[in-house]
Amino acid sequence: MFKKKVTLKILALLVFSDILETAIHFFFKKSVLAQSDFQVVDINSAALFIRAAFASPYLWAGIFTVICVFVVWSTILSRIDLSVAVPIASFSYILVPLVSIIFLHEQISALRWLGITFILSGVILVSLSSKERVH
Amino acid sequence: MQPHLFLILFLIALTSLCDTINQLFLKSTIDALKPPAFNIFLILKFIWGLIRMPKLWIGFIFSVISLCIWLFVLSKSDLNFAFSADSMHYIFIALASGLILKERIGRLRLIGTAVIIIGIILVSLR
Repeated sequence: MFKKKVTLKILALLVFSDILETAIHFFFKKSVLAQSDFQVVDINSAALFIRAAFASPYLWAGIFTVICVFVVWSTILSRIDLSVAVPIASFSYILVPLVSIIFLHEQISALRWLGITFILSGVILVSLSSKERVH
Repeated sequence: MQPHLFLILFLIALTSLCDTINQLFLKSTIDALKPPAFNIFLILKFIWGLIRMPKLWIGFIFSVISLCIWLFVLSKSDLNFAFSADSMHYIFIALASGLILKERIGRLRLIGTAVIIIGIILVSLR
């Protein structure tokens, strides 16, 4: 009974981490959106690229969200195996493409949606295979 | 096919590898501590305990490297592609869980990992 309760809480934490995860990648993409033509050829240009990215407030919003996810993940991983926790946190495979279409105006072909469906199915198979190991 | 597809895929593989190493350090750091109850005060105390362990910071270095590569990848490709292709970390995590953490890897999980690989190929085709 107690274990079941904990599992539900873990599930809620995993869903919360999905939403945060999606936000992280959205913020990171936003932080380098203006730098798509930037050529990185050596250490100096790489340093310039990273410096420009770190000047963006979006990057810091992303890093703040990473810290939030870290807090959530520390709790999740202390209770369940890495191989169980990671697969369940997979809603973001649908959330991120949706956010890409709505907020970044990216286009997603039918073939790519098929690929995303495969990835998600694979992730679900992986998590089903770990079901009996949840404690 | 997009320009520099294989370079981008290689870089994504590199960030996945760094992330996997980071996750392994995180997992082994956490395993060394007593898991906290679901109580905000105990969780904060637990995190403070984590921060004081050197292993955590080794993992942290890998996540910084991963972030720098990831930012470059994102500047060159669509978020939906980069994020989907980043699912290749499942392959690394499966390998690491089996080989290093000695967790059991079942047949269903192998099939799932293979399906993920097919998905990554489809996503890369555009």
